[in-house]
Amino acid sequence: MSTQHYEFVRARTCAEALALLNEAGRVSRPLAGGTDLMVQRHKGQVVWERLVDVSQIPELRVIREEGDAIIIGAGVTHSEAAQHPLIRQHLPALAEACHSVGSPQIRNRGTIGGNVANAAACADTLPALICLGATARFITPAGEQELPVGRLVTGVNRTALPAGALIRDFRIPKPPAGARQAFIKIGRRQAQSISRLSLAALGRLDAAGKVAEVRLTPGACTSRTQRFDQAEAILLGQAPSEELVRQAGQAAAAQMVAIAGRRWSTAYKEPALAAIVERALRRIFDLPGEK
Amino acid sequence: MRIQFTLNGRPTTVDAPADIPLLHLLRDYLELTGTKCGCEIGECGACSVLLDGEVVNSCLVPAPQVEGRDVVTIEGIRGPDGGPSDLQEAFIEAGAVQCGFCTPGMILAATALLAKHPQPSRPQIIEALSGNLCRCTGYQQIVDAIELTVRRRAGKEVQA
Repeated sequence: MSTQHYEFVRARTCAEALALLNEAGRVSRPLAGGTDLMVQRHKGQVVWERLVDVSQIPELRVIREEGDAIIIGAGVTHSEAAQHPLIRQHLPALAEACHSVGSPQIRNRGTIGGNVANAAACADTLPALICLGATARFITPAGEQELPVGRLVTGVNRTALPAGALIRDFRIPKPPAGARQAFIKIGRRQAQSISRLSLAALGRLDAAGKVAEVRLTPGACTSRTQRFDQAEAILLGQAPSEELVRQAGQAAAAQMVAIAGRRWSTAYKEPALAAIVERALRRIFDLPGEK
Repeated sequence: MRIQFTLNGRPTTVDAPADIPLLHLLRDYLELTGTKCGCEIGECGACSVLLDGEVVNSCLVPAPQVEGRDVVTIEGIRGPDGGPSDLQEAFIEAGAVQCGFCTPGMILAATALLAKHPQPSRPQIIEALSGNLCRCTGYQQIVDAIELTVRRRAGKEVQA
């Protein structure tokens, strides 16, 4: 459909990519899996004059431990992340989120860095990365910088990434021992669906059986994906119970409305968010009623 | 621009614009029309090919990105005797081909699955085909055909 022509160049290293992205006189965009850019091309929304292919840069493809953290290269595909033992062991909510993306074809191409940089409202990795406290590390002409993913992504299709910057990797602290995670997604069908609503959650009990730590990050819910601290506050220091998780679900729904206001989808999303918050908490804290 | 890659096992060089997807490179510049053009936005799977052994939507792969890599299309799928592969035979026998438009993509998605998981469960097969739409809705027969192939490869059933 597109009649807008553009050039293509492959970068071998981060330094080369940075130089190409910032070359004067041409609007360049980094290309990884192409699953968003090629759809834009098909829709006639080409806003670049050159694509800089970063998919073959080894530095962007790593998954490794670094002290108490896991490092995930921005060019790691959703398939690679969903299957990797380090991510499955330490960051199961992220593994689940990656596994829930699109179809095998999309997961084999789309990357975590691309999912974050594109910052779609329904981006499946965002709630998981923010729940897990991921920091994005990016290279810019002014040097290396980093920002928590929750601050990097400022809204729907909006990021604080400086012009000409390239996300290199994500640093995710390993969750504390005893913490359990959940990722739940609601779509119109199981596969290939755009998230209508999702939730990444993490929780940990202390020795007395009280909630020592809890993080609730709904996705496709507010324009800026964030932790819902009011629902979290209800749980902290309390022993999980039927009543408590019900209250937390209600508080999450109320916080969504407080942040996003009432819109056409609110009548559906209020009970749906309350239900998935309850479901995730039952799973994490071993309450009955959740298989 | 010049793009060099391995296509169905053969070194291939083609001169094409830099701003087209692999789908158009295959169909319009290499005349391999077995790869079907459906939605062009990565939702239907009709254009599925294998890139370094992984199933991908060729409509979403910028053509120059295959430089130096390995691409297999439906034209590259065949049995040892040059005829249809056992999977293709099973599709025919199980009635898994109706209008046929989704079939090349289905065969490639299933080929990628069986290369990784020679003994997939029915739910695994269904998930592996989740990026491929069949608008004749003949899904049961397609899954049956893959199960038939699995049983035959395991020596549990002989070919008719």
